[in-house]
Amino acid sequence: MLRYILKRILIFIPTLIVITLLGFVISINAPGDPVERMVTSSQSGGEMGAQSLSQQKDKLFWRQKLGLDLPVFYFSLTSLSKPDTLYRIYDKSEREALDRLIAQHGNWEEIQNYSIQLAAFSSYQNLFKPDTNQLKGLPINAVIENLNQLKFEALSLKSTYEAPLIDAKFAKIKSLLNLYPFLNQSKVLFNAVEQSYAEIKNYSSNWKNYVPKLSFYKNNQYHRWLFGDGGTFSKGLIRGDFGTSYVTKQPISEVIYSKIGWSLFFTLLSVILAYFVSIPLGVKAAANRGSKFDKGSSIVLFMLYSMPSFWLATLLLMTFANPDVFHIFPASGIKPAAGYPDGASIFEKIKITLPYIILPAICYTYSSFAFLSRTMRVSMIEVIGQDYIRTARAKGLPENKVIWKHAFRNSLLPIITVFANIFPAAIGGSVILESIFTIPGMGSETIFAIQNNNYPMIIAVLTITGFLTLVGYLISDILYALVDPRISYK
Amino acid sequence: MNEELKQAAVMDTTKTDFSFGKYAWSQFKKNKPAYYSYKFLIFLAIIAVIAPFIATDQPLYCKYKGVSMFPALSFSNNCEVKNPETGEVENIQYDIADWKHMDAETIIFAPVPYSPNKTDYDNADYVSPNGKQIFITATGEETEMPTKFRHWLGTNKAGEDVLSGLINGTRISLTIGLLSMGIASLIGLVLGAMAGYFGDKKLQTSRGSFWTFIIGLVFAYYYAFIVRSYALADGFASSGLAILGQLLISIIIFAVIAYLFYWLGKLVGKVSFLATKVFIPVDSIISRAIEILISMPLLILIISVAAIAKEKSIINIMVIIGLTSWTGIARLTRAEFLRISNLEYIQAAKSMGFKEFRIIFKHALPNGLAPALVAIAFGVASAILTESALSFLGVGVPPTTVTWGSLLNAGREQFSAWWLVVFPGLAIFATVTIYNLLGEGLRDALDPRLKK
Repeated sequence: MLRYILKRILIFIPTLIVITLLGFVISINAPGDPVERMVTSSQSGGEMGAQSLSQQKDKLFWRQKLGLDLPVFYFSLTSLSKPDTLYRIYDKSEREALDRLIAQHGNWEEIQNYSIQLAAFSSYQNLFKPDTNQLKGLPINAVIENLNQLKFEALSLKSTYEAPLIDAKFAKIKSLLNLYPFLNQSKVLFNAVEQSYAEIKNYSSNWKNYVPKLSFYKNNQYHRWLFGDGGTFSKGLIRGDFGTSYVTKQPISEVIYSKIGWSLFFTLLSVILAYFVSIPLGVKAAANRGSKFDKGSSIVLFMLYSMPSFWLATLLLMTFANPDVFHIFPASGIKPAAGYPDGASIFEKIKITLPYIILPAICYTYSSFAFLSRTMRVSMIEVIGQDYIRTARAKGLPENKVIWKHAFRNSLLPIITVFANIFPAAIGGSVILESIFTIPGMGSETIFAIQNNNYPMIIAVLTITGFLTLVGYLISDILYALVDPRISYK
Repeated sequence: MNEELKQAAVMDTTKTDFSFGKYAWSQFKKNKPAYYSYKFLIFLAIIAVIAPFIATDQPLYCKYKGVSMFPALSFSNNCEVKNPETGEVENIQYDIADWKHMDAETIIFAPVPYSPNKTDYDNADYVSPNGKQIFITATGEETEMPTKFRHWLGTNKAGEDVLSGLINGTRISLTIGLLSMGIASLIGLVLGAMAGYFGDKKLQTSRGSFWTFIIGLVFAYYYAFIVRSYALADGFASSGLAILGQLLISIIIFAVIAYLFYWLGKLVGKVSFLATKVFIPVDSIISRAIEILISMPLLILIISVAAIAKEKSIINIMVIIGLTSWTGIARLTRAEFLRISNLEYIQAAKSMGFKEFRIIFKHALPNGLAPALVAIAFGVASAILTESALSFLGVGVPPTTVTWGSLLNAGREQFSAWWLVVFPGLAIFATVTIYNLLGEGLRDALDPRLKK
């Protein structure tokens, strides 16, 4: 048995790796640049383009801390035209623009040259800050307006890749540069940009896009995420470090630690309650098969089984937490908004919290309860139909003993195997129910993370719930062996 | 299924032309709830098909200044009406014309004269189905709503008709069943059949062909998905049809290249030192994949995948649901094929020299379909639940798409608007229930063990 459990735990590892990989792939493909969001949201008001030095430093710091300055995975399958070093360009939109240019023309050397020329042009100081004596006699507001436009066009070129758009921007910049004589020097730089773009078009080597290339990276984002970087920024997943939240910049592990309690509480409560109610109910329905109780409970259970939990939750809130109808239960949260009264004992706290828990607990429980009762009934009916039950009855055992002593244990088998199905369902269901009842748990945190593109959190949730599900499977397998002596894992 | 055939034949010897399908159908008919669910499903399907004609603000027929128009039924969006006396040309745009105040000779409205996305400003802000609804006539007088324009199930905050939203939401709900379960059953049936039929020890190939094929898969993936990555990304950023189109092109490229390498592999396998036979553990690979997928929290996975799609669309959601919910079908099909692959008629087919492909899909699959059908029926129910949960949460579904879930979500903001909670919820509940009943009915009709 112990060996079996060990073997199963070893099988966990590849499954977990695939789950983390999937979460990782999702996060890599997420739109937007997390660092851009993190830094600009904290230091808003910075003028576009003219990023302050501190902001750029900040970005660099976060990029290193999040590991975004590394290649994505151990290996990558790309085209011959793609350089090994593209990941070093920090700005996501700029990187994508260059990548798309490569996909169009396939000549990295020319594209690189274009990018360098473009950087030189757009960061040229005189372009944006003309001397005062240069401005003499010019309408100052119009000059500032035009220069701002020029700045915008020059910077937006970096993330442009469609040929007609680039040409349009070139034309626009040219006309703007021709406006003032003091921009003559920039014109030289701009001519170089234009020429390098013409070179990209002229010397395109598109065939390179169709030749595959495999490159390997020893140090990469996934590796660092799994194993850490020696403790500078990240300890790695295997040491319990899930990374940093993009939103609050807190460690994810801390967030999870503070939130997982309520989720586990409701999940476990619902599973335990469901088993406690459904087993006797299913047995009773099966023992009196065809009776009024059986038919009635079957219909009710079937309805419950098909009932969407979010509908029931909304209906319950609408009826029992609505000042217009019955205001028996509070509508949201798990404790009073003002907190517990000072010096409240644990029992008083439970008493205060109880009304908050009842409605969510009903919604968490009912669907798995309906499913379990139906499974229990079917498996009991199957067992009762077997020969050894007929024998037990024939030798004159009381019905009660036949059901509970002889049939019960065998009918438990299917209901134990479905434990592995109920557990993940309860976890998934928590996403909806927690956000309806505003329970501060993992589910509502997940929705919040998804709305804010907080991908480290999402991967963490995927990994943890995947792990819990695997544990659920293991527990159901062990229980299976405990209940059925015929099964031994050797 | 030989035994059941015999058993059934004994039960019903009078019929000469007898098939299992007919027998199962007669069993299914006896199950009244399932049979009525089936009828109700047909009714829903009809509603879904004709939804644009029964719930639209454009009239079915309109005669205006002597010109006849069929706005709801026509493909064009405008009609030019020439005044015979003055010669003035009036251009009527079907989608923005104010039909309800039009001074037309004859006008026939749809049974529900509102479109799901159009607001009725006079009845905005949660108008109750049984409360007072007002109508402002062309002259500006405020009157009681005429019966033909009533909002039978009330309106939401913006003044959109709930009944119209429900009727048009039927389309989305049924499409989800069709599309996502179509994808899921395609994957589930093929993988399950292969896992069950080949097991770990039946698919044999030479080492050379095996590795050539694996390398071929890498190349196929490269040319189908990496080279075309931006074409695919742009497809995902635009409409649902563009996604499917681009994906289809990629899949075709993948299949063609994989097929080329398959033939190349046959040649390579002839080389002596590569000709060693190896077994392909099809069953283990597929079973592991199923195990991994079922240990994922699917709802969270679907939500996070739906959230990264740049352009939100309901088709995305359907495809994602389809790609993640094939495990049940695959497991049941696998179990069925484990049994079928040892039956005598399969041996007979093998001994006649039929190709494996033909045996699997032509001989074995029709017999192994029954459990998958049951799983598909239940799968549709859970796909509809998942979709409505997502639109209830407002994740991945564009705000302009009116679905049952999004209607229900609107009711959450205002509990006094009970009609926004009760009716859409009832629609979801009813649809899920009929699919579950159908699944039960199918299981009872197809499962020989429960026959009594």
